[in-house]
Amino acid sequence: MISAHVTTPKLIGSWIALLVLTFLSFGTSRLGLGEVELLIALSISVAKTLIVLFIFMHLVEQRFANRLIVILTFLFIALLVSLTVADPLTRKTFPPRPDPAAHPYP
Amino acid sequence: MSAQRLAEQFETLEKQDHAARLGMWMFLGSETLLFGALFAVYAYYRGMYPSEFVQALHHNSVALGTTNTVVLITSSFTVALGVHFVREGKTRLTAALFALSTLFGGVFLVVKGIEYAHHIHENALPGGMYSFVEQPPAGVVLGITLYWFMTALHGLHVIAGMIMLAAVAVLCLKGRYGTHRFVAVENVGLYWHLVDVVWIFLWPLFYLTD
Repeated sequence: MISAHVTTPKLIGSWIALLVLTFLSFGTSRLGLGEVELLIALSISVAKTLIVLFIFMHLVEQRFANRLIVILTFLFIALLVSLTVADPLTRKTFPPRPDPAAHPYP
Repeated sequence: MSAQRLAEQFETLEKQDHAARLGMWMFLGSETLLFGALFAVYAYYRGMYPSEFVQALHHNSVALGTTNTVVLITSSFTVALGVHFVREGKTRLTAALFALSTLFGGVFLVVKGIEYAHHIHENALPGGMYSFVEQPPAGVVLGITLYWFMTALHGLHVIAGMIMLAAVAVLCLKGRYGTHRFVAVENVGLYWHLVDVVWIFLWPLFYLTD
């Protein structure tokens, strides 16, 4: 049997931490910081995900094979999103978006 | 009891349980990649139409979205507690906690349904059905379409998770799970946590945009 590292106080602590991070995220979104807001909100989301993964999902007490899947999934998504978003963010020589006049809506 | 559940292809119960957990993590990984592709689409079009996306998602109710975030995080907590107690053999407590989590899932869906009803009333619908704003810029429609697609796909996962949580709660009461057998309970819990994690990312992307 797996030795239980995740105890009831740890679960309660994680829940409170998740709620605090949620309201932190909500609070920063009301400040009107512009583009930085999205970056802060997503960083808080990553922190919340780590709490859920390691405590709620017991990743802290599992074999490395299970952690490897999480690491690989994260890397694949980071690769997918960053390469995809690099296209619209680095367009210099041709229009950044389709011309609406050329293709009238809808 | 525990010798009976050892399938013949495994040498020990420990290996059998590890295989079950590993299989669940691989399934969750592939689920995450499904949502990952949608997050990539979101990043692409938001990079292309930054102000239109903010305009499209501006009238989403932050209060309702945040309520749902709190509801899902709390349901994840009750599921984690349930998994903790089934390992200690307190199966009635686990059944109660899983039933409570199913209820939280229902609350989430009701709140989401209220939001959807608002959007339908305002004709803030996906694709060609959109008519909330006359002659909307293309990015606005893309933003609303992604909102509907991603939240509805997440909603389907909530429904699937609720069915599994309820089934495991009933089986806990019937004595199928306990200290002798609990990997299935853990795996259903893992699925519910994944649903929570996806919402943790959907919430800032669709509600905290202005």
